[in-house]
Amino acid sequence: MTLQSKVGVFAGAALLRLVLSTAFPSLPDLLTGRVEISTPVTSFKRLQEGLFLYNHNVWPYDGGVFHQAPLLLPLFSLLPDVKTWPIFTSLLYILVDLLSAYALLVIADSGEAGQSKHFTSPRRAKRSSGLLVAAAFLFNPYTIAASIGRSTSVFTNCAILFAIAKALSGSPFNAMVAISFASYLSMYPLLLLPPLVLLAYDRQSEKRRIDSAIQFSIRAILIAAACISLLLAMSFALTGNSWDFLARTYGIQLTLSDLTPTVGLWWYFFIEIFDSFRAFFLAVFWLHLVIYVGGLSIRLRTQPLAVLTILLGIFAVFKPYPSISDTSLFLAMLALFRHLYPIMRYTYVASATMLYATFLGPAFYHLWIYAGSGNANFFYAITLVWSLGQSLFVSDLTFAVLRDEWEVERPEMVGKEIRQI
Amino acid sequence: MRSLLSFLLLAVPSALVSATEYHEQLNLRPLPLSALLASFNFRANTSIADFEAQNFRLFPRSLGQILQYAGTRELHLRFTLGRWDAESWGTRPWDGTKEGGTGVELWAWLDAETDQEADEKWLTLTNALSGLFCASLNFIDGTRTIRPVVSFQPEGDHPNTTLDNTRLLHGVLPHEVVCTENLTPFLKMLPCKGKAGIASLLDGHKLFDASFQSMAIDVRPICPSEGECVLQLEQTVDMVLDVDRSKRPHDNPIPRPPPSHDLICDTTKPYHKPDDSCFPVDHLRGQDWTLSQIFGRTMKGTCPLTDPEVPPVCVHIPSTRDIFSAQGAHEIKYPNNDSLRCYHIEQDKEFTLILTKPEAPVDGEVAPLGIVKPETPVLYAERSFTGHGQEHGGMQAILTNPGDDTVEFVYMESLPWFMRVYLHTLSARISASSPNTNTSAEIVKQIYYRPALDRARGTQLELLVSIPPHCTVFLTYDFEKSILRYTEYPPDANRGFDVAAAVITTLEPKAMNIRTTSLLLYLPTPDFSMPYNVIIFTSTTIALAFGGLYNILVRRMVGANEAPPAAIKDKVLGFIEKLKKKKRTVAAVAAGGSAKPATGKTEAK
Repeated sequence: MTLQSKVGVFAGAALLRLVLSTAFPSLPDLLTGRVEISTPVTSFKRLQEGLFLYNHNVWPYDGGVFHQAPLLLPLFSLLPDVKTWPIFTSLLYILVDLLSAYALLVIADSGEAGQSKHFTSPRRAKRSSGLLVAAAFLFNPYTIAASIGRSTSVFTNCAILFAIAKALSGSPFNAMVAISFASYLSMYPLLLLPPLVLLAYDRQSEKRRIDSAIQFSIRAILIAAACISLLLAMSFALTGNSWDFLARTYGIQLTLSDLTPTVGLWWYFFIEIFDSFRAFFLAVFWLHLVIYVGGLSIRLRTQPLAVLTILLGIFAVFKPYPSISDTSLFLAMLALFRHLYPIMRYTYVASATMLYATFLGPAFYHLWIYAGSGNANFFYAITLVWSLGQSLFVSDLTFAVLRDEWEVERPEMVGKEIRQI
Repeated sequence: MRSLLSFLLLAVPSALVSATEYHEQLNLRPLPLSALLASFNFRANTSIADFEAQNFRLFPRSLGQILQYAGTRELHLRFTLGRWDAESWGTRPWDGTKEGGTGVELWAWLDAETDQEADEKWLTLTNALSGLFCASLNFIDGTRTIRPVVSFQPEGDHPNTTLDNTRLLHGVLPHEVVCTENLTPFLKMLPCKGKAGIASLLDGHKLFDASFQSMAIDVRPICPSEGECVLQLEQTVDMVLDVDRSKRPHDNPIPRPPPSHDLICDTTKPYHKPDDSCFPVDHLRGQDWTLSQIFGRTMKGTCPLTDPEVPPVCVHIPSTRDIFSAQGAHEIKYPNNDSLRCYHIEQDKEFTLILTKPEAPVDGEVAPLGIVKPETPVLYAERSFTGHGQEHGGMQAILTNPGDDTVEFVYMESLPWFMRVYLHTLSARISASSPNTNTSAEIVKQIYYRPALDRARGTQLELLVSIPPHCTVFLTYDFEKSILRYTEYPPDANRGFDVAAAVITTLEPKAMNIRTTSLLLYLPTPDFSMPYNVIIFTSTTIALAFGGLYNILVRRMVGANEAPPAAIKDKVLGFIEKLKKKKRTVAAVAAGGSAKPATGKTEAK
């Protein structure tokens, strides 16, 4: 893997995005309007509305449209107006994508997927090169669509990948700062904190080593808490000394008051749920999301990177406002585990299901919203299929990770049929 | 312009009169194409001292007590149906100030030091008025209430000290269907209760059959320069009747073409041939009617309480037309306005008016219009939705200034919260054909915007716009149609949701009001029939994902050959084995006939 090929891949990806958004000037707006890409908490159109209000002295958090983190507002105010100079916004998104790919490159090259501190996979020899992983991320149609559709979840994805990359390269402080940014932007990455702390603990550099795990995690959590508090305090000052933004940005993810369709499972469920059970099921859905963190971190203690990957997959299915951008992050992480592909059982079924949903989803949405010949159940059914396909991927990866682990104890069972009891 | 003067002429004296008085007047104005505007105006004054002492005479006690209880300084209530066709009917009656958007519109100045207090009083007021007028005014909640900043100014005379402590609240119910149950309480508030005077002409069947009708109630304090302040209650009914439809007999209500020998043809048309093709012109020749034909009943004298100085009935029609009135009525003509005729009526006699058909013009001569030509309005306004589908949409308001002066106005919209407005897409474009090519910044001078909050309040948008002469401006913006909880949809969800009319208040060259039509917004709908199914399907998906992952995580892996046989498989195999054994035994019995009953044991197991 030469520097030349790296540059080639990165430049190719940047050029592809640039060409797509300049050759088809209406493409960015078209993709921004798609429910699969833009959710109420990541939509670029809503960000523009918030920006417009912010620049015209109306508090964007005194309204029901803008639900994104306050610090995005000054960031995007720095850019020239997107209507007259769309190129600068495209360049920013391309840059963020390239940074994410770079972080993936670092993660892949660290070899953590096949060999962590406490676990060495017998199959680690067959690992995928960093460039391949980065290319798989950069040329994934989901990533490209999210990037051209200017969904703000790409910032979250970038922050998450950087947090993992920094944790792997032995700088826990930077990892905590990065995960704080991700949590500040979208809240759910906060749940990645336990496996990330474990990962950072395992990969500490020898110079500044803290032996006690408890001490280390307390320190890491304190850093993250301080960083998040700082970001929130800045937002507080920015929004005219008011905490309103908390209810508008994080509150809406907790209460799902905006029921705009997404590719996830929440929206239709909470349209149709009986009002008296709304609060109960909100709690159940959130509990369901949180419950995986502890279980996976304990069961797969030796492989924190696998835990992070599985969790990202679970979040892409079960979080309140998922989009294909979250799926693209999961698929990018999945590419790290190439050595496990041979023992995954349902890759064909799962990927076929996801492809099926990818093509049929927009068609059914069109039938419901525009043609009027279908109803909401059409799109809902497709979101069910999409979620099932993706969760099949997640559980299959979990199975492969566990089997790989088991084969260390039972090397004679490689390639044999097994059963779980 | 002259006709407008006459309206003002009649309106002015009443402002200068004594503390307690009442008068009523009906203005009839034929409009082009067999339309007839009938404007009923009832005005009652009471001195503030009497009002505060609860000494009601001409002012209705029911309304007075509500106003006192809710601390209302000034009140405006509108019930409107139909659309004023400004293209053919011209300027609106009363310059649009006594007109509301389709449905019910209410705005009031309430005594309140804080916004919260104002909200409480507003709740009291809307609920009390809801009972009084049999309208769903109690549905004007926080999501339908706004606090206009520049659009509305108090009409009455308020001392500055009280005005500082009042709050203006404005609510609309575009979905409300105005009907006879709203007219009955309206008539009950009149001193003569619709039994005598011009109110005896108001019949629900005719009023709500009109092409356009607007009922207005205005309460405002008036302080003349000398003398004590009075509280004025003004009730107005404006209706545009279709004369042809009104004249159609009850037993034969279906419109039919007249027989060919009764047709009056336009002989100047090139295709005109006697007994073959005809361009009918009789509707262009002016209307003819009697008062009882168009209102369905005759007028029963005058109200004894009314001010005898004010003539109760006036007709705006060119002096060339002939009108016959009932005996005892006294016609007044005004030297400065020859197209206005008014009638004084004896108290107890029935009154009727007959407008005769104008004489047929001599062949080849152009027929005179036979009506006072309507005045061109200062501004034309139209509003519509653009786009398709139930996800994104756009609003477009087309505002045309036909005059020679620059028109400056405030454009106000009160939108429901489920219409998510993207204000950054707001643009004002001057039509390409216009001589001026101003940019949008010069057209929209000021924006006052209060964004909607989900389920708490609606959007309030006020724009200060200025349009150069002979220009058309297109105001557009995008919005998103949000999807609601299934319990938030009305039973007729696929009909759509009503969006209230935009209110336009012109500031230059003269103050007047225009309201656009209300709009129907289609929202995406879920399937209402399957909440249980959705709950079950989604829960199943989650259970599948969770269950699968849980199984993988907690179970132990063993080789396929090391695993203890599964319980179910064991049972099934055992059952098959048993069947085979039984078969064998039966076969053996059949063959040998002396099988031991050992099989009984296995069966017992």
